[in-house]
Amino acid sequence: MNRIEERKLQPETFLRIVGVAFFAYLFFGFMLFPCLNTLTSIFNTKNAAGERDPFAVIRFFLAGNMAKYVWNSLKLAILLVITVNVIGISIVLLTEYFDIKGARILRMGYMTTMIYSGVALVTGYMFLYASDGILTTLFKNSFPNMNPTWFSGFNAVLFTMTFACTSNHMLFLRNAIRGIDYNTVEAARNMGARPFKVLWKVVFPTLIPTMFSLTVMTFITGLCAMSAPTLLGYDSINPEIVRLAGSSSADEAFPQARAALLSIILAMFTIILLTVLSSYERKGHYLSVSKTKARLQKQKIDNPVWNVLAHIYAYVLFIIYMTPVVMIIIFSFQTYSAIRLKKLDLTQWTLINYYGQEDYEYLTNRGKYKTRVGSISGVFSNEATLGGIKLSFILSALAAALACVIVVVACNYIFKRRNRKSGVILEYALLFPWLLPTILICYSYRTFFNSETVWYVGNHNLYYAQNVRLLIVMAYTVTKLPFSLRMIKASFYSIDEELEDAAKNLGAGGLRTFLKVKLPIILPSVLAVFALNFNALFTEYDMSATFASSYGTSYAMVIQAMCADEGLYGYNVNASGRRCASTVFIMIVSGIILYLVYGLGARDLGERLEARDRRRKRREKLSAMFQKKPA
Amino acid sequence: MIKLNDIVVKFGDFTALHNINVHVKEGEFFTFLGPSGCGKTTTLRTITGFIEPVSGTVVVKDRDITHVPIEDRNIGIVFQSYALFPTMTVYDNIAFGLKIKKMKKPEIDQKVREIARKVDLSDEQLMKAVSQLSGGQQQRVAIARALVTGPAIICMDEPLSNLDAKLRVQLRNELKQMQKEFGITTIYVTHDQEEALTLSDRIAVFNKGYIEQIGTPNEVYNFSKTEFVCNFIGDINRLSTPVVQQMIDAGAALKETDHNYIRLERMHVNMEPQPGQISVTGTVITREYYGLYIKYYIDLGCQTVKVIEKNDGVRIYEEGQQVSVVIDPRDVMAYPPGEKKEAAS
Repeated sequence: MNRIEERKLQPETFLRIVGVAFFAYLFFGFMLFPCLNTLTSIFNTKNAAGERDPFAVIRFFLAGNMAKYVWNSLKLAILLVITVNVIGISIVLLTEYFDIKGARILRMGYMTTMIYSGVALVTGYMFLYASDGILTTLFKNSFPNMNPTWFSGFNAVLFTMTFACTSNHMLFLRNAIRGIDYNTVEAARNMGARPFKVLWKVVFPTLIPTMFSLTVMTFITGLCAMSAPTLLGYDSINPEIVRLAGSSSADEAFPQARAALLSIILAMFTIILLTVLSSYERKGHYLSVSKTKARLQKQKIDNPVWNVLAHIYAYVLFIIYMTPVVMIIIFSFQTYSAIRLKKLDLTQWTLINYYGQEDYEYLTNRGKYKTRVGSISGVFSNEATLGGIKLSFILSALAAALACVIVVVACNYIFKRRNRKSGVILEYALLFPWLLPTILICYSYRTFFNSETVWYVGNHNLYYAQNVRLLIVMAYTVTKLPFSLRMIKASFYSIDEELEDAAKNLGAGGLRTFLKVKLPIILPSVLAVFALNFNALFTEYDMSATFASSYGTSYAMVIQAMCADEGLYGYNVNASGRRCASTVFIMIVSGIILYLVYGLGARDLGERLEARDRRRKRREKLSAMFQKKPA
Repeated sequence: MIKLNDIVVKFGDFTALHNINVHVKEGEFFTFLGPSGCGKTTTLRTITGFIEPVSGTVVVKDRDITHVPIEDRNIGIVFQSYALFPTMTVYDNIAFGLKIKKMKKPEIDQKVREIARKVDLSDEQLMKAVSQLSGGQQQRVAIARALVTGPAIICMDEPLSNLDAKLRVQLRNELKQMQKEFGITTIYVTHDQEEALTLSDRIAVFNKGYIEQIGTPNEVYNFSKTEFVCNFIGDINRLSTPVVQQMIDAGAALKETDHNYIRLERMHVNMEPQPGQISVTGTVITREYYGLYIKYYIDLGCQTVKVIEKNDGVRIYEEGQQVSVVIDPRDVMAYPPGEKKEAAS
């Protein structure tokens, strides 16, 4: 920095010191200290004699069945990499590369997981495929010998997660394939390569960096799976950590230390994988060197047999993707009795799952009829569901916004000091949560802040009563920092540096340049990150399950609990219907947010002005028509 | 008007500018010309304040501005990418500097519309987003934004480099016209010699952080001070020893050991040599047809030379045809071998 700039920044020094202090507080207070505490807790265990035994947990791990959870998680992660890549690459090729009839509709179907994910998706699949699920019941009627519990355990987890985890392929691999220079495809064809040869030799190599990143991310997702194994019954690491975290030493040997050890194992796997990923990314990517890039044109499959098979495959996948969505929408308008029978009844339509209340009369085991007042209620009339939605909405929105604000401020700093140590340190500090599994962070928060001895939070127990909400917001925020940083940093780097010089030359200071010039440019990306963060957090299950507390019961937890107790003693009779309705509501909210951000929000000023002009012209045309009529 | 005195700029151990001395007169259109990485943009950024020199001074109207902050220098800049703010309308882009100066709205409005009229931007275009304008219109916006605050100097960093060839020529003329109209001292950076020659009152030719020559377009073209300048500006033939020897034999005051150059248009095909001129026979290898003129590649036996002849539609020589090439030794620019660069003043 030259002397001129140094003098200019002097009034901003105070702000800079505050910023540095804030980031130090965030990093040490909410990332490093809690996790270090978890790490050290492993070695602070006491044996039956009450003596400190640093290796007791490790011995327990080696002798007992804890390794089973690690192996199960690894098995899931490895197989998930294969199945997700097969399905993910297929759906991208079918919609973007090959000429498949109805590709637009297919794409919409494949993209439903973007608005319908997490616990909602798992429960949706259970609604269809569980032993009493709609489709299983249907199949059972046709094939009485079939195993009704086919959809449980490992197979069910793998099936569900395979389709749930293709959203990233639809986002990133799709962009990568759309970025291919069509001239390279034409050149290969011109040299005599058949379409599949072109795909294999020209197209795939350019997609390898993206596919590698997606593979690593899928592996980590499989390893850290939480909602699907919990709901579908599969013994993997994360559900076990949550179980142990809530267990007491009176019931089993040092549960907290075991949970910590499992978290650390998970963290080690994550660190190794991310190190491999980043070293691969440092090697560089295939870049198009074309100055006149041609847009990719869809390839016709010349062989009629392959063409038909590809179409069948595309539509089978479409049905798998769409069935839960369609069923959930339909059954959200069905009465509790139709839902309970898992049969579509065209005479049983209702809006009660959305709005309103009804009493429920049931026969007790003493042979008396009892009425449970307001037992049948809609999403917007049921206090608990609405409370869960409200809480999730507020916490997710707060955390998503906070993560964006922190990252935007940090990126501005990093961008200015990208060749200096301070910029690099800040960037790594914000990427730190990526090294740790979400569950480790949440577990660390739960144990570390569950005391009144943490001085830097004013000696308040953050896991107590309503404070837990603050803890959830912090956990949500911290876990979303790395993703937000990667996305927003990329948009900062796309800002033309001359814009900053121009603003400076015209007399604008650092803050004004940031607010008036840079922020409006990166705002669409920031909003997109906000939307993706919000959508992910709104239906989030893993973290709120770790923080299980009556003051922090998120939507996913509420709906889960209600469905588990559906109809018990006449309570929550239409819990499944309400779950369907709330899923529809969340799909609508997520869909609107994605449309606002990616549709309207992605328009530049020129496109917005053009749209405004078109609206004005339409209005003028309309008013001219009305003015003419009386004459 | 602008004086750069012994400017030295270093990036780490690398010296980007070596004792640069330039004096730009008021109202002059002054161009920094040179290949990529020669220091022309660094010099411009030193004037505008984005780079602070290690030593030397930048003086504008007898005021030392070497350490004056960028925004207080009163220098307008037109950037290579135009650096128009994409999230603002054309109007807001032009008004940006005025708003920072906390001018009142009516005054801002008046100034914006006035400058827009001068650079030929309509009221309708003012309300558009910059992305809705063509390259030429965007350039006008960039000029208007740079001029609206009433700077003493305007600096332009390769403002035509992003445009296609036809538009570049069109806007070059408009730029010159505008500069004359506003009468503002202009410093222009380019690597395009044709642009420099057509636009400039004077040119500073940069090479490896040094200025090789400062002069009018005619001076740098016809009286290139250094071998680099003569090679960089326009197309040229370096004459081989036998040809030079022939001229020496004919009484020319040339040295065989020097590097001797001659411009393409200074040699003529099949003309009667005048006293002092020499004629060398050769064969037309190939020709390039440019419409206004024709370029011939002629093999003289000892070397191939390029010669340009006006296209009169009559005297057109075929490939393989025997011709004579007439050279006047007075048109030869000679440079002693291994000449060292010196900072020109």
